[in-house]
Amino acid sequence: MAYNVLIVDDSATMRALVRKVLKIAGLELGECFEGANGREALEILQHNWIDLVLSDLHMPEMDGAALVKALRQNHLWQTIPVVLITTEGRREVLAPFFESGVQGYIRKPFRPEDIKEQLQTILGEAWVPNDRELEGCDF
Amino acid sequence: MIENLKAATFEVLETMFFIFPESLEEAATLFHGSGIRAWVPVQGPKKFRIGLTMSLSLAREMAANFLGLEKDEVSPERIEDVVKETANMVAGSFLRREEAPGTFNLQPPEARPLDLDGEIWKGNAHNLLLAVEDSGLEVFLDTSH
Repeated sequence: MAYNVLIVDDSATMRALVRKVLKIAGLELGECFEGANGREALEILQHNWIDLVLSDLHMPEMDGAALVKALRQNHLWQTIPVVLITTEGRREVLAPFFESGVQGYIRKPFRPEDIKEQLQTILGEAWVPNDRELEGCDF
Repeated sequence: MIENLKAATFEVLETMFFIFPESLEEAATLFHGSGIRAWVPVQGPKKFRIGLTMSLSLAREMAANFLGLEKDEVSPERIEDVVKETANMVAGSFLRREEAPGTFNLQPPEARPLDLDGEIWKGNAHNLLLAVEDSGLEVFLDTSH
């Protein structure tokens, strides 16, 4: 199964990096969409089938918290797995997100292996690694 | 506090950029040429800024490492974005290490160019001067804002 992934981050550079790491990590990518904030992410979701959302928390216009809330309140989107990729590392800030059904969390700075481990956990048996190796990979 | 800032900086540079800074006395003599300064304002019970200053050549090397590109393939916009994102990650790691309450919030990072030869470089209680090969790297915590 090829996954359509939505990457949401206000840094174009970070979006490019995550996209690259997803390929290296072995996720069978379908289409890879990018949004600079929650509002752009919702627009993409309205017009495309998305299997996985990887989102930053701190973003202008509409942040990750508002995006997660909107996803969980929409019956079409509420089952889409969401993984936070964020500089935020404080438990008291992150706890409400896990209570609202966010499936995973990757703290920046991260290694490619961190993303692979998170996706393997979330996607479980659906994970189909390709033949690329992470060991010694170069960003 | 400065130890947590140092640990946060080393964590980010080593994990994301494969760059290993050193604490050397001569670091203050390694700031030359065109540079860039990026910082993240932190809002909350106290307001402060966490940021980095470095030469454009070091910033270009970091951006190339970050994106897996050759140095001459990295645009000025990407260089600025990478330095801002670096400041963002250092600030996030610092707040976590300080166990800062959730009332402290990171604001969007900002950046500006800087003539490194026009500044006085001296380490103090609120900044670190580090050496990355032959370049200087300043990490600062500015409480005056």
